[in-house]
Amino acid sequence: MISRRKVMAGIPAALLLAGCRPGTPERPRIAALVTEYRRRAHGQHIVDRFLGGYNWGGRFHRPPMDVVSLYVDQVRESDLSRDRARQYPSMKIYPTIAESLTRGGDSLAVDGILLIGEHGTYPRNEKGQTLYPRYEFFRQIVDVFRASGRGAPVFNDKHLSWKWEWAKEMVETARELDFALMAGSSIPVAWRLPRLEIPSDAEVEEAMVIGAGGGADSYGFHGFEALQCMVERRRGGETGVAALQAVRGPRVWEALRAGSWDRGGWDSELFEACLCRSLALTSTREGFDHSYPSLEEIPGLVKDRVTDSGPQLDQPLAFRCEYADGMKATLLLLEGLSMGWTFAARLKNPPRLVSTHFYLPVRGLGGGAEANFFSPLVNGVEKMFLTGKATYPVERTLLTSGMTEAGVDSLFRRQSRVETPQLAVRYRPTPEPTYRRHS
Amino acid sequence: MSGRRTFPRTATAVPVVGLPSRTRPGAKKLAILASRWTPGSPARQVADRFLIGYPREDRWHRPAMDVVSLYVDRTPEVDQSRQRAAEFGFGIYPSVAETLRCGGDRLAVDGVLILAGQGDDSSSGPSAHDLLEPMVRVFEEDRRTVPVYWDEPLGLAQARKMVEASRQLKFPVLAGSSLPMTWRLPPLDLPMGSRVEQALLVGIGFGRSDRYRALETLQAMVERRSGGETGVRSVQAVAGEAVWRAGSSGRWSRELLQAAVARSDSLQGETLKDGRPRDLAGSGELPRLVEHPEVCLVDYSDGMSAAVLMLNGAVGDFTFAARLRDVSEVASTQLLLPPGPNHAGSVCLAARIEDLIQSGRSPVRPERAWIAAGILDRWIESGEKGGLVLETPELTLEYRPTAESSFCGS
Repeated sequence: MISRRKVMAGIPAALLLAGCRPGTPERPRIAALVTEYRRRAHGQHIVDRFLGGYNWGGRFHRPPMDVVSLYVDQVRESDLSRDRARQYPSMKIYPTIAESLTRGGDSLAVDGILLIGEHGTYPRNEKGQTLYPRYEFFRQIVDVFRASGRGAPVFNDKHLSWKWEWAKEMVETARELDFALMAGSSIPVAWRLPRLEIPSDAEVEEAMVIGAGGGADSYGFHGFEALQCMVERRRGGETGVAALQAVRGPRVWEALRAGSWDRGGWDSELFEACLCRSLALTSTREGFDHSYPSLEEIPGLVKDRVTDSGPQLDQPLAFRCEYADGMKATLLLLEGLSMGWTFAARLKNPPRLVSTHFYLPVRGLGGGAEANFFSPLVNGVEKMFLTGKATYPVERTLLTSGMTEAGVDSLFRRQSRVETPQLAVRYRPTPEPTYRRHS
Repeated sequence: MSGRRTFPRTATAVPVVGLPSRTRPGAKKLAILASRWTPGSPARQVADRFLIGYPREDRWHRPAMDVVSLYVDRTPEVDQSRQRAAEFGFGIYPSVAETLRCGGDRLAVDGVLILAGQGDDSSSGPSAHDLLEPMVRVFEEDRRTVPVYWDEPLGLAQARKMVEASRQLKFPVLAGSSLPMTWRLPPLDLPMGSRVEQALLVGIGFGRSDRYRALETLQAMVERRSGGETGVRSVQAVAGEAVWRAGSSGRWSRELLQAAVARSDSLQGETLKDGRPRDLAGSGELPRLVEHPEVCLVDYSDGMSAAVLMLNGAVGDFTFAARLRDVSEVASTQLLLPPGPNHAGSVCLAARIEDLIQSGRSPVRPERAWIAAGILDRWIESGEKGGLVLETPELTLEYRPTAESSFCGS
């Protein structure tokens, strides 16, 4: 790998400093690289907000920056990018990533980059991972940075690469070339009902996230992000995950009945707390709107979505995570039991239980078609484009990317426990909370 | 899971329907006076939580309270009151007085839940009978009172009677729907003593209860202002295209409308089709979308003005905005109403009701219901009189709310 020093050699110091630091243009110029730009795709939700604005902080907010170039990897009948380019003539569509970054010139000509590699038709490997080309896009971005002797902040939607080595390389490259890199899910920045942040001096004994939705690779990642954005504040800071085990099907129900981590399950009070924080718990008592299910009833509620190509969600699904510092955590995906994402943790010294609901305004929970859970995510990215600094550490998403892959691996290896020495990711969160609280 | 209780009988007479009550020793006894107990009814959303519990913080919580008697106004085909009475072991009595006395000759309960509103089922109106008057009579005759939860008055006269009775007989009342109590995004209460210049609430729904809860939520917000509540001077209803003209001429604030709509998470119109966020209020697109626009303009005695705009067709949620003197940012929030089946917005209401009955203290002054019910009466009347401005001397009313916030997560 070429070192930063080599790349930067011969470039005037002023330019080097200007790299990805703020202040050069009044309105940062943004390139958007998306796998797909169609209705309901992440590309649409995110880029539309940069182009047309969104409700934020009690006003309609128009990002103080311009999307000037767009690359779309897969253009299908349902594509909206051509339409958008007509509506926003300052945004040009380019046939390659390099050209969208140089805008047809010979060096980097944008000040921020959106890398949205979610949705689209990409192959799946034998482990069930969709091989979204995030790393491949990233490599092409970095090639332009190197050739230009200048970088710019990059936002990578959802996980980094599906492959650990590549994900790690993305983070290392950003560090080496000194450009801001941010990534992740919209869950860490969502409203929390109630407001909750783990106090920085709190030891966490055991934590739990319950969610629902599609599949270990896709929704497992969201769940790990939900977990990680909470527990990363615990005493001692994050030191990574030592081992992980995925459990599916009937074994999840055995774990449900086990009653404690040591017996192969989890702290049942954490489970109850998560279900009690839900805004949409499936009622088991006929004629009642809101009831608490018994352990016997729960298996009957969790149903996989089955299509012609087989079960789609692989649920029930549990991920048992053993952290390097001894903390234990369980992520449960239980489609049919409840909607949305909830968190609970047992703290030590003094012992107490904390819990919250990550409120994403989706349909069925009080939200609408505009999917406003994208708004805090976009706002955080905007901040990075303006300041040149990641709004929250990319190491969180490096770890969750690795946890997602380890979870998929464990499933592939017949639900065996996998040691994860590679996930010794150490980082500290920002001192200030970064979830949606006022705006 | 069985809801049947295996405790000794304590009722003194046999009710017409259902079993005599079975109660747990030490549990508070509740009487319920309901318009009906059907899907979508307030009884289903609130009273059921006292039968099977509800999520309170981290736990599924079963209140140490037993429903011992019920008066139900209507029993349509979808009625569930009989099933509830049989399953949970309480009696249904033919009158309010018998319900409160559990068929005996003395007030025999520790708390009363009046669930008289329309709820989410707009096909059915509120309670046809005055449930309040006979309750107050029992309190007077038996020289004993208990805490009362009351979802919604039928009108000003009733609200006034409730406030006067609670003052005179000294019983605590918690009046209101789940809307002022639910989660707020962000968790905003105006600071006590705020100098509010103008306030605006955006609501949806066509029923009486929808307007009522919009008004009581407006009142819950503004009653915290500097000088306390001193009442309302006049009310005017404006409907149709005139709503927008009233905005242009400054009768309500377009700035506040923009702020409130910017708190919405469920824009209607084109957004439903293409999923794109829109500046509905700023772009001028809003009026095109609203079905039967309506605004209720309220002038308060202390000079503050407020408006409730019903924007069906444009948004799918309740939002609020206010301008405070010497504060440059408009304050705004959304009142989150998670949809059914859970109707999780009523969880916090249930907790406040339980606290009321346990502690004998209400977090809400019943005068709020007086003001809200009075404005609603005049809103309807003004509408019938072609939008006449109606003076409201009957709403000259002073009160100070409790300083502590009582909404979810506060």
